[in-house]
Amino acid sequence: MNAPVLSLRNVHKSFDKAHIIRGVDLDLLPGERHAVIGPNGAGKSTLFHLISGQFAPSKGEILFDGHPIQGQTPQKINHLGLARSFQITNIFPRLTVFENLRIAVMQREGLQYTLWKIINRVRPVQEKTESLLERVRLEARRDTPAGELSYSEQRSLEIGMTLASDPKVILLDEPMAGMSKEETHYTISLIRELTKGCSLMIVEHDMDVVFSISDRISVLVYGEVIATGTPDVIRNDCRVREAYLGEEVCACA
Amino acid sequence: MEYYVVSLLNGTIYGLLLFMVSAGLTLIFGMMGVLNFAHASFYMVGAYLAYTLQKLLGFWPALVLSTLLVGVIGALVERYFLRRVHKFGHAHELLLTFGISFIIAELIKLIYGNFPVDYRIPKSLDFSAFTIFGASYPAYRLLMGSIALAMFALIYLLLTRTRVGIVVRSAIYKPKMAEALGHNVPMVFMGVFSAGAALAGLAGAVAGAFYTTNPNMALELGIMVFVVVVVGGLGSLEGAMLASLLIGLITSYSVGIDRSLADLCALFGARAWAEGVGGLMTLKISSLAATIPFAFMLIILLVRPSGLLGEKE
Amino acid sequence: MKYVRYLIAIAIILLGVLPAVLSQSLVNAATQMLIAVLFACAFNLLCGQGGMLSFGHAAYFGVGAFATIHAMGDGSVAGLLPTPMLPLAGACAGILVGIGAGWFSTKRSGVYFSMITLALAELLHSLAPHLKGMFGGEAGISGMRSPAWGLSFGTSTQIYYLTLVWVLASLAVLFLFTRTPVGRLTLALRENTHRLRFLGYEVHRLRVLVFVISAMFAGIAGSLQVINNESANYVVFDSHLSTVVVLNSYIGGVNVFLGPALGAAIMTFFGYAVSDLTRSWLLYQGILFVFVMMFLPSGLSGLRQLWLGVRRSLSVSVLVPIVAFSCVAGLMLIGGVIFSVEILQRIFSQDYQSLLVTAGSAAWPSVSLFGCDWPPGSLLTWIVPLVLVIGGSILVKVVKKKFHTLNEATATPDTEIPLPCAAEDLPDINKLHHVERDSA
Ligand SMILES: Nc1ncnc2c1ncn2[C@@H]1O[C@H](COP(=O)(O)OP(=O)(O)OP(=O)(O)O)[C@@H](O)[C@H]1O
Ligand SMILES: [Mg+2]
Repeated sequence: MNAPVLSLRNVHKSFDKAHIIRGVDLDLLPGERHAVIGPNGAGKSTLFHLISGQFAPSKGEILFDGHPIQGQTPQKINHLGLARSFQITNIFPRLTVFENLRIAVMQREGLQYTLWKIINRVRPVQEKTESLLERVRLEARRDTPAGELSYSEQRSLEIGMTLASDPKVILLDEPMAGMSKEETHYTISLIRELTKGCSLMIVEHDMDVVFSISDRISVLVYGEVIATGTPDVIRNDCRVREAYLGEEVCACA
Repeated sequence: MEYYVVSLLNGTIYGLLLFMVSAGLTLIFGMMGVLNFAHASFYMVGAYLAYTLQKLLGFWPALVLSTLLVGVIGALVERYFLRRVHKFGHAHELLLTFGISFIIAELIKLIYGNFPVDYRIPKSLDFSAFTIFGASYPAYRLLMGSIALAMFALIYLLLTRTRVGIVVRSAIYKPKMAEALGHNVPMVFMGVFSAGAALAGLAGAVAGAFYTTNPNMALELGIMVFVVVVVGGLGSLEGAMLASLLIGLITSYSVGIDRSLADLCALFGARAWAEGVGGLMTLKISSLAATIPFAFMLIILLVRPSGLLGEKE
Repeated sequence: MKYVRYLIAIAIILLGVLPAVLSQSLVNAATQMLIAVLFACAFNLLCGQGGMLSFGHAAYFGVGAFATIHAMGDGSVAGLLPTPMLPLAGACAGILVGIGAGWFSTKRSGVYFSMITLALAELLHSLAPHLKGMFGGEAGISGMRSPAWGLSFGTSTQIYYLTLVWVLASLAVLFLFTRTPVGRLTLALRENTHRLRFLGYEVHRLRVLVFVISAMFAGIAGSLQVINNESANYVVFDSHLSTVVVLNSYIGGVNVFLGPALGAAIMTFFGYAVSDLTRSWLLYQGILFVFVMMFLPSGLSGLRQLWLGVRRSLSVSVLVPIVAFSCVAGLMLIGGVIFSVEILQRIFSQDYQSLLVTAGSAAWPSVSLFGCDWPPGSLLTWIVPLVLVIGGSILVKVVKKKFHTLNEATATPDTEIPLPCAAEDLPDINKLHHVERDSA
């Protein structure tokens, strides 16, 4: 089929002596929604950090559209069209919700160094921000400092900021953690809608979400991908069940 | 040859002195996350107290007493000022210590006047330790060096060999955990802050007699200590040691270099051009001695922004 | 927000008619105030908005000053620029030096940034006296304003208006800047540089940009100073100026656009007003700063917020006595502090000390203060400040307690009184430092 937009080749990462990512190979296909699951401390977030440029891998290659991006700065990688959200909410706490989103929107409009325009008069930015605000259902909190939002509202904001720049590849790190059932439900549909046409990689602990949203699933355990496949394949993979659910039912090892 | 040996000695001793102050600063930063702007002020207070007390008590008792007094002042500053603004965050703490350093400087000016005081090495210590290449080397310098070294040995042993040391290190590493284990962490903080202040006070009491004791000494040394910390990496004692010695040596060597950038250009046959440019090019390095450490800092920022032993950013 | 506009309009009109009613020396003081205001606002762009606390902002003020003196000419040599345009020279110098210094210092964030700015200013300070051609050595350089555009620029009134125009224009530009994309990003720099990177922003470049703009306006301020004084000396690089701008800005409050301006105006005015009365003005300024940092973290401009907050739950009739008692307590404390400082200042002064030497073992002579004689040997001399300070402190405690009981009686959960400043209202330098640390 198509060449993968993002592909990891034998990626390793160690912190001092701790070998956290131990040779991960992973492909993200165009238009695919790909979930990464695994127990706590498996290295899922670390994997995202490696892809998004927060850390450089100790070894291995990360290709974006066929070009190596490992070890590049986060802003460079973002410019290529990759956006990510954070597991630990990462926003501008004393700026209003609207401002948070607008800053995320502005970048794509090339206003990074603009000193001669009043931002409120830049129509496209204002409109895009307003619509995004509506999308993440925070209109009522428009002028509230982001730091004063409830936890789940901050999660929505985090998602909104990530999706603001029309990226090609999106990494979401446990976007729904801490949301209620209804919010989760809404967010799933939002993610579905907003990520149409782009590729999504998502880390999530809620299995219902994972199985309902993803085209493919990879299972990461102790820094290694032990299985990749469609939800059905993963559901029935006994190594996954052993590693992930702690069941000792493996007959195929 | 003489110049190299003497400069080496002077530089090392100045470096040790710098370390005495920067060690406390680094220790406090590592533990409490506070950059104590007033740290060098404790150095100055130590010098002035020792100057006042030695007139009444003699040199050695004054040295001990002023060290202890500065320690007490440090404890009070921590307890009644810093701890109260802790809730506002570290930037606030930095600003508060900034204000305190300003007040201390103004108080010193008010009490002792805005000029150097006549704090001298006591007669009994004013002799030469040895003659080197026909020049005598002051014993007092060696005394400063050895006091500094003795202090480090003491701190090192205290931190690594005693129970108090273990508690302190655990409070630095994981304050919450240490608190949960029943240690009085605020007390430990106060203790370390006070010890750091006392150390700076001792350095001031000793060095004030040798260098000058004036209301500007805190700022002058403070800036140098900041350079040390930027070069070495904040929070790392080894880094502070290395950088202190480096800066000490650089300063002491540059005092003796009678050459200028124009001489350097001459090597490339560009002397005439350099002299034509004038300004910086024709200045002797020796007259720039006060500036060189800053230039060194800029170079470090260029090649290794996180400092010599700081973690990579 | 409407009434803020009216206030500003009134203030501008007042500033405009000021020279008509004030004496020469007061007009001069007003010029100084305006310069300090501009300098504080330039500083606050970096500090309050960008979250970069600079301890060496005098450097950019200073280079602006020297660029201007070189561009001014000295009567025999014609200037490069007509007098009213001289601040452009300061602005350019600020930009140029700002690019260099900003590039280095913004390589690090948090406390490192502060230390580097301090060291860079000291670098200039230590270098300047050696570079005679540029900075004039110990003696400094003097120049002379030349008439331009049909104006002589010979009177302090004309200089005042020149300064006023430049300061108001600069403030307007600084304010508009906060509304531009970069202005908004400046706030984001203060809040979370880590996130900005992942949104695709070049954080280092942005920071340099903000630094340069701040340095530019600092340069304009330095320039105006030189236009006023017609001379520049390397002592402007001294840490004093850098310190004062930090104190002024925080006393005024860095969270509000005009907060630092307020602080700078008040402090400069008092500095002028009391310069004949006391030699310890700087000490008072330091004490006030520490007091503000401890008890009023958002500065004087935070008082309004505080008042609005309290007004929401308590009626004016309840508040009046509280405010009155607070004022009394405050006055007592201020009185006590001033009394002690002034007495000490007089006792430690050189004149008095030499008097002591001549007096020998006789009783210490009295010092005069506030028109009375206070013998240092008498108990009364020391009781007065002690009573004032202790009385003031007790009164503060009482008022505080009363206030809290009132609050508890009226406060329902949703009318809780907001503190004048929450912990996160200040650039949390260290937090930034840590965030920085874990980015690649
Ligand atoms: N900067 C770091 N330095 C050292 N160790 C780290 C660092 N970051 C993560 N680790 C370690 O790497 C391991 C994997 O962490 P990571 O956050 O990637 O796990 P995760 O799969 O995202 O877990 P969770 O489901 O809890 O989010 C953990 O054991 C963690 O302690
Ligand atoms: Mg994780």
